[in-house]
Amino acid sequence: MSHHSTTRIQEHIGDPVSADAPVDRSKLEEIFQDIQGDLRFDHELNGCLNCGICTATCPSAHYYDYSPREIVQLLWTENLEGIYDAMQEKIWACAQCYTCAARCPFGNSPGGLVMLMREVAIKHGMESAKNVLRPFSRVMLKLISTGNQLSPDMINPDHFPDWGPNIAKIEAPLKLLRKAIPMATLNTTKTAWEVNLKTSIELYTIWEETGVLDQLETIDENLFDVIIDIMDEKRDDWDDLVEEHEDED
Amino acid sequence: MSNNNDERFTGHGAEWRDSNLSREEANVATAWVEQKIDRRSMLTNKDRVEDVRDAMWQLEKDGEIIVHRITDQHKPVMAKTLYGWDKKIPTNQLWHHKSCGQCGNIPGYPASLLWMMNEMDISYLDETDQTSCTAWNYHGSGIGNIESLAAVFLRNFHQAYVSAQAEGRDPGYYYPLVHCGTSFGNYKEVREYLIHSAELRERVKAILGKLGRLVDGKLLIPEEIVHYSEWVHVMRKQIAERQVIDCSNLRATVHSACHVYKMVPQDVIYDDDVMGGDRVAVSTGIIQELGAQVIDYSTWYDCCGFGFRHIISEREFTRSYAIDRKIKVAVEEANSDVMIGHDTGCITTLDKNQWIGKAKGSNYDLPILADIQFAALVCGAHPYKIVQSHWHASSTETLMEKLGIDWQAKKAEFEAYLKQIEAGGDQENLYDPRRMITGGPGFKMIEQNS
Repeated sequence: MSHHSTTRIQEHIGDPVSADAPVDRSKLEEIFQDIQGDLRFDHELNGCLNCGICTATCPSAHYYDYSPREIVQLLWTENLEGIYDAMQEKIWACAQCYTCAARCPFGNSPGGLVMLMREVAIKHGMESAKNVLRPFSRVMLKLISTGNQLSPDMINPDHFPDWGPNIAKIEAPLKLLRKAIPMATLNTTKTAWEVNLKTSIELYTIWEETGVLDQLETIDENLFDVIIDIMDEKRDDWDDLVEEHEDED
Repeated sequence: MSNNNDERFTGHGAEWRDSNLSREEANVATAWVEQKIDRRSMLTNKDRVEDVRDAMWQLEKDGEIIVHRITDQHKPVMAKTLYGWDKKIPTNQLWHHKSCGQCGNIPGYPASLLWMMNEMDISYLDETDQTSCTAWNYHGSGIGNIESLAAVFLRNFHQAYVSAQAEGRDPGYYYPLVHCGTSFGNYKEVREYLIHSAELRERVKAILGKLGRLVDGKLLIPEEIVHYSEWVHVMRKQIAERQVIDCSNLRATVHSACHVYKMVPQDVIYDDDVMGGDRVAVSTGIIQELGAQVIDYSTWYDCCGFGFRHIISEREFTRSYAIDRKIKVAVEEANSDVMIGHDTGCITTLDKNQWIGKAKGSNYDLPILADIQFAALVCGAHPYKIVQSHWHASSTETLMEKLGIDWQAKKAEFEAYLKQIEAGGDQENLYDPRRMITGGPGFKMIEQNS
């Protein structure tokens, strides 16, 4: 079969009957095996009759070219090209509300499957993941280095102009407003609550042992370097504190 | 579509044709699929869903894990979940597992909860040795994995178990109470995977061992994962006894959080006395108990639009969804005076994303509060010192006016209090701040009275 011109669909998702595979078959298989190899895969995918209940109740389907039914079908039929294509953009549209999972008559979790695909997109350093996550780097820096995701100093009109003027209803410095919260753990500005240094050090071990830092390095090398510096610094602080404590004893 | 030669990126084949149904015909054709996620629609899977707690007890018998039990000291109250199963809700000696979004952004949410516990003489601990569940980041970015989520869960819950030792008490004295809806859903999912997967247990056991976070060489799993809204629900009658402000004139809409009731739905409380048992009972139960009119609305089951990633980096989706599917419906259809939620992300999204609606002529200003903030307010908590309503972008002032609260006077009191702190005066605290350090350098044992 010959093609005289490429259609828009072929241009975007590749031509299934063309001799020129947009992505090497072995790469596609490797990606699928990574998704399928997650211990959650069989729990999240049990079958699909294309009923579409998941898409009917999906908030992202209202606004994006995204359908949880399509994601499930691609995985269920092991459509490797389609899976790869969906990982370029569509999987990032999912709002992770799990409405689809609550409704699926088969007990599938399309939202959970999307998470497996996102993890694999990161593992393979896909450009889509790098592009999508670039604006997320500040949040990742905060979470991975402190164990808290949202800090009070992030909420300001420069970062959230669309939240309007009322995000600060009382004119006072942030530090003072935080001191006026009657929970001592919350008298902070750079973290949501005061995190014990020992806690952060324990969290760093979790990040290292579970491969989270490797994920980060794949997706954003600069951010990875910054975080490693912070971790080293905090570990030094911890060692000093322990040493001081031992001297006191 | 009138011209099928125009290709669209829809995924439909070339044979696709418009049905050209009238609106009524389209409604009839799709009504079966648009049914809401009410209790009935979720009962269909009942026979195929197992109670993971059975497997948990078996694992303990087999010597694989230790279960952190809810015992009489925690004064448990039984509640019924989706399939009529029992869930034990501890009501005393609680370890507050804070929410990073709440604490960073809407601090009156946890402060109201602690204030209410003080009023009711409930014992608790709010300490620094805890991290976020990390699930907001995970669901937003994909950075993280089942092992990291499980290790964070086990580390935090182990700390809850041993925390009372800092006060000279036995392990297990405090039971963890999870503030965030996403943490609640995530932890329940992770617990299920831990119970079912020996491989996962083995992998995280090595990590927890390195951290010194095993009990007798075993992983510690909590008997129940309990959301604060469940505590509020089972305590609703005792809370209502403390009410000092009448709210029967208010029309309230409730937004139930997706990660509270759509993740592991079999573990969610339903109560035949609350909306006929066909809606999630938490939040609606307390608001009804306080005497406000809870108004049902057509998009009650929709998410808020938070999206985890979207709230940060794709806010067009978040605000459009929040305004069009929730706020607009609550105001125009339900004529709501206030919307009540029980989760960090939802409260943030619905509260902060109204002002921008002006850009397209959607001039809504619906006060948004968490159930416990509302309860604290009508039980006499200070709107600024405790409820911390100044962190809310939505018009909490109009709500206070409807409740007969002189918010301007209260605001003036708070501003005077700020000046007092600024001048080095005493800070008001809900608990002895020394208790927040439970270990490591700087820790000092404090004698407890009880």
